[in-house]
Amino acid sequence: MKPPPANANINRLIVLSLLLLVFSGTLGLGAVWVRQEISAIANRSRALEAQIADVERGLDEINVLVAEAVNPDALLRQNEVMRLGLVSPQEAQVRRVDGSPELRLATKRNREIFNLATAAVGDHAPEFRIVTASLR
Amino acid sequence: MPMSKGFANHRLTLLSLGVVACFMAVGVRLVYLQVVDRDELLRFVDKARRQIVIEHARRGAILDARGNLLATSRSELTVAVDAWALADFLAAEKNPARRARKTAEEQAKRITLAALLGLPLAEVEKAFIPGLRPIKPEADKRDGKVDGLTKDRWVKLREGISEATYDRIEALNVRGLTAERVYRRVYPGNELAAHLLGFVNKEGAAAAGVESKFDLYLKGEDGWIESEKDGARREMAQFRSREVPVQDGHDVVLTIDSVVQHMIENELRGIGAKYQPKFATIIVSDPMSGRILGMANYPSFNLNEYNKAPLDVQRNRAITDQIEPGSVFKIVAAGAALDQGLVTPLTGFDCSNPLVNYKGRDLKLPKEDHDFGRLTVAEIVSHSSNRGAAQLAMLMGEQRFYDYAQKFGFGQRTGFQLGGEERGMLASPKHWDGLTITRMPMGHAVAATPLQMHMAMSAVANGGVLLRPQIIQEIRDAEGKVTQTFGPERVGQVLKPSTSALLAQLLHGVVGPEGTGAGFDVPGFEIAAKTGTTQKIIDGRYVTTHHVGSFVGFFPASRPEVVLTVIVDDARVPGGSNYGRAVAAPVFHRLAEQLVQYLDIKPVQPATRNLLAMTGGAR
Repeated sequence: MKPPPANANINRLIVLSLLLLVFSGTLGLGAVWVRQEISAIANRSRALEAQIADVERGLDEINVLVAEAVNPDALLRQNEVMRLGLVSPQEAQVRRVDGSPELRLATKRNREIFNLATAAVGDHAPEFRIVTASLR
Repeated sequence: MPMSKGFANHRLTLLSLGVVACFMAVGVRLVYLQVVDRDELLRFVDKARRQIVIEHARRGAILDARGNLLATSRSELTVAVDAWALADFLAAEKNPARRARKTAEEQAKRITLAALLGLPLAEVEKAFIPGLRPIKPEADKRDGKVDGLTKDRWVKLREGISEATYDRIEALNVRGLTAERVYRRVYPGNELAAHLLGFVNKEGAAAAGVESKFDLYLKGEDGWIESEKDGARREMAQFRSREVPVQDGHDVVLTIDSVVQHMIENELRGIGAKYQPKFATIIVSDPMSGRILGMANYPSFNLNEYNKAPLDVQRNRAITDQIEPGSVFKIVAAGAALDQGLVTPLTGFDCSNPLVNYKGRDLKLPKEDHDFGRLTVAEIVSHSSNRGAAQLAMLMGEQRFYDYAQKFGFGQRTGFQLGGEERGMLASPKHWDGLTITRMPMGHAVAATPLQMHMAMSAVANGGVLLRPQIIQEIRDAEGKVTQTFGPERVGQVLKPSTSALLAQLLHGVVGPEGTGAGFDVPGFEIAAKTGTTQKIIDGRYVTTHHVGSFVGFFPASRPEVVLTVIVDDARVPGGSNYGRAVAAPVFHRLAEQLVQYLDIKPVQPATRNLLAMTGGAR
C-alpha cells in the first residue's frame, strides 16, 4: 500500500483543527448560552422577589388600613357619622336563656305556627312552615 | 494554473504560524490580565461592580388577644431630587427643538408632582435647579475640581409618602426624581394602650414598653446579598456570590383586649375632663390567670406623635408611681385575721374608743370618718373602719401582719413582664415606730403601685393565690407559628380558698346599703370591692384637700371573673370631696356594667352564690 502524501496529513490536521475549533466554538457558545440563561433566570427571580416584596408591602398597607378602620374609636365615629345609633345593651335589656338559643327560637316559631293552625281550623287548611336543620 | 506543492506548504505554514501567533498573543494578554495586573484590576472591579445589598428585616407586629393590630410597620418613601440627572438628560439632547419640547414635558410633570406631594410648585421647581454643596476638600475628587464643592444629587422634597401615592408619582416618570424606602412604625389605635406598647423612634430604636422589652423578638435580623452591579447600578443577580436571608421579626401577642382597653381609656378621658387629676389609672384583669385585659393611665399620648408628648406623660404610672393604698390595704388586716382563725365575720370590736391597750401601752387609734360604736369584722370591712382594722392587726401582732402584707405582694415587684416597675415600700417591723401597727392597717406608712394593689385584690378573688400579672400571651414567628406561650405564674398562696371566699362576701358588703360603696353594685353581679381614700403628703404633712381616691374590686363575688382597679390621684372636686367613693366608684360601676355585657358574664343566681361561696369560689 502506498503511504499517504505529506499534504494529506496536513489536510487531515487542518480538518481536525477545524473540527476542534467548531467543537470548542460550540462548547463556548453553549457556555455563553447557559450563562445567558442563568442571567435571565436570576434576573427573572430577582424581579419576582421584588414583586413579592411589593405585594407584601401592599398587604402591610392594607392591614394598617383595616386596623385603623376597625379601631374602636373609628367604629364609634362611624356610628355617629352614619347615624346608626348603635349602643351597648344594658343588663335590663338582656334576657338570658339557658340551653341552646337556636332551639328555643325554633320551639317558639313552631308554637306560633301550631297556635295559628289551631285557630285556623274550620276555615281553611293550616299553613305549615318547615323548620330547617339550621334552626336546630 | 495549478499551484505548486511547495507554495501550498509554505502558505499553510504561514497560516499555522499566524494562528499560533494569535493564540500566543491572546495567551500573553491573558497572563498580563490574570497575573501581572490582577490585583489592580480586581481592586477596580471590586470597587466598580461589587456591592453588598442589605435587606432590612420587617419588624414584627404587636397584636391584642383577639388578633387586632396594635403596632405594625408600614413602608414609606422619602422623595428627593437629583437635579443634575435632569440637566444631563436635557444636555444629551443636541436638537434644540426637541430639547425645548422635553423641557416643557418635564415642567408639566412637575406640576402634577407638586400636587401629589402636597407642596407648592415653587418649592418643587427650586429643587430641580442644579446646585452644589460643600464637601471636605480632601474628599473632593468627584467632579475633577478640588474646590470644596460637589454636585448636590440629593435634595429632599418630602418624606412619609405612602406606597399608593408613590405609585402615582412613579408613573409620571419624572427625570431626576429618586426615592428611598424606609419602614415606619405605625400604631393604628393612636392612643390605644400607649403606655403598654411604647414606641419606636425615627432612628428605629425601641423606646419603651413592649417595643423595648421585646425588641429582641420584634426586630428580626437583617439579611444581605453580596453581588455585582451594572453600569446603571442595577444588581446583576447572576453574580450573587453570598446571600444571608433576611429573618423578619416575630409577632408579640398581648393579653389585652382592644375593646376593654378602649372602654377604660374612654373612662379615663372622662375622668381627665371632669376632675383634671394629677394622674389616674385603671387596670382590668382576669383573676384566675392574672391576664391583664386592659391597663391605662391618664394623661396619655398618641403613639404616632410620641415626640409631642412630655416624658412625664409617657410613664406607665400603674407600675412606676407609688401611692399609699389607703383603705384598700384593709383587705390585708381582715384577710389575715380571718385566715388565722383569730376572728369570724361576726366577731365584734369596739371602734368608738380612740385609745387601746397594746402590749401594755395605750396606743392612740386613728380617727374615723364617722362615729362608730361596736362593729363586727364584716362591718369593719364594709364601713371601712380605721380603728377596727388597727385592732385586727394588733390581734395578730407586727410580725404576722407584716408577713401577710408581704404575702399579698406589697413591698416587692409583681414581676410585670414589661419591667420598669417600682417595688413599693413596706418596712419590716424592726423599723416601725410605736404607732405603725395602728396606721399601717389603714394603708398609711406603706406605699404600693396601682398594679400591686390590683394583684393583691386579685388574690382575694381567685381563691387566695397571688399570681404574676401576665401581659404577654404568646410570641409567633413571621409565618404565624407560635414559638412561645406564657401561662399563669403562681407567686404564692396568700389566703386559704375558704378565707378568700369569705372575704369576697365581706367585700360585697362594701356596696351594700351600709357600705362605703353603697349604690355602686350591679344587681346580679355581686360587686366585691374596697373603697380607698388617702390624704396626700404635701411638705411632709398629710393634707385634707388632696387625696388619692381608689376603688378596687372584682365581680361576681362568688364566681370572680374580672378584677378592676380605678385610682384617681388628686381629683379637683368642688368642696374637696375627692374620695374614692366620689371619683373612682362611679367609674368602676360604669365599667362593670360595660364589661358584664362585653365579656358575657352571667349573673349569679342566689342558690349558686351560696354554693360557690361555700366552695371558695374556685372554678
